[in-house]
Amino acid sequence: MTERIVTVPNKLGIHARPAAMIVRAAVEFDCEIWVESPADKVNAKSIMGVMTLAASGGTAITVSAEGTDETEAVEAIIKVVRSGFGEEMI
Amino acid sequence: MQDRYPDPETFSVGILYECLGKKLELNSVTENRGYNRMIVSPDISRPGLCLSGYTYKFMHDRIQIIGETEITLLNQLSQKDRTAAVANVYNFPAVCCIVTKGLSPPEELVSAALESDTALFLSPQDTTPLIHDLTDFLGEVFAPHVSLHGTLVDIYGEGLLVMGRSAIGKSEAVLGLVERGHRLVADDLVRVRKAGNRLIGTGDALIGFHMEIRGIGFVSIAELYGVGAIKEMQSVDLAVRLLDADLVDETDRSGLEEKHMSILGIDVPMVEIPVLPGRNITLLLEVAAMMNIQAKDTGCTSAERLNRKLIARMGRNRLRK
Repeated sequence: MTERIVTVPNKLGIHARPAAMIVRAAVEFDCEIWVESPADKVNAKSIMGVMTLAASGGTAITVSAEGTDETEAVEAIIKVVRSGFGEEMI
Repeated sequence: MQDRYPDPETFSVGILYECLGKKLELNSVTENRGYNRMIVSPDISRPGLCLSGYTYKFMHDRIQIIGETEITLLNQLSQKDRTAAVANVYNFPAVCCIVTKGLSPPEELVSAALESDTALFLSPQDTTPLIHDLTDFLGEVFAPHVSLHGTLVDIYGEGLLVMGRSAIGKSEAVLGLVERGHRLVADDLVRVRKAGNRLIGTGDALIGFHMEIRGIGFVSIAELYGVGAIKEMQSVDLAVRLLDADLVDETDRSGLEEKHMSILGIDVPMVEIPVLPGRNITLLLEVAAMMNIQAKDTGCTSAERLNRKLIARMGRNRLRK
């Protein structure tokens, strides 16, 4: 199990478009991946799940994965979140 | 079904007579002389000024409409002047002339038409309504058009143009739509014309409402499903591309990205549907059409509304903190 914490850096937070970007990155990997906010823990490969986190800008989220390519998977998701989804930062 | 409008490339005076002879009550006084002369302009001309001697910028390549003004002018002239006036028009290679309002053309006009092998039609109809009908028709004939490889179907009044490589399953998917009560406009070949800022699609007269279904052959939708399953023309409101699943990268899962496709310079909303075994493409096409109707009615897509709700919720969460 690999686990890392990252802060949502963009102003609007994880709305539909950023959620889709996370899911797009996640489906590339075979392992199980989760995203966790203070409220909930969801499958990173489910767009509806990631959206229901309603993680606003500044929220700390935990990305975790379990499986053969878990290290790369967590790395990839963190990279997408850190990029701020190409949006305005806080 | 007949092709509604002739091909502008081969549009001659004879074809004009075939298409509009009945509607405009045209009666040729020159038999079929000048029938193979080509019509190249969607506009018409009133030759009054030209008859009176001002021939500069005379639009001789247009259909000439001779109404009461022109005939009155000619009748006032002496026979010699009348011959000269008519020659002003016929010295150019005129396309054809129509004398309206049931007026009788002067002798000189008829003989000039005969000598120059130009069609001269008489019509009992009033000039202005005749011009309206004629220019409407000419406008359609010369409208920009294109033939597309795809299938056009009417879903609740929304024209859905289904495209994709051959054998991807366009026809089967649309057959499913017909089965669900929607109407086929054209299969495999769609002729699209630009009318103002809209696109109007029709089928080909020969193909009619036949579909080619692999393994079965040609299927006549009109005969099998009846008139309720077909439609002669339909606006093109939404384009759907069916794509091989392996060619599609997971570009957009949310439906927030709007895609368009340009047809004859008009932007048509487009959705791309990856085809995977077991996916019910018919159902997806129906949903795509309904979403487009809803987006037009409400001004935004359901994806946008959902996202707005989500952003609002995140805003409240932040305040609570």
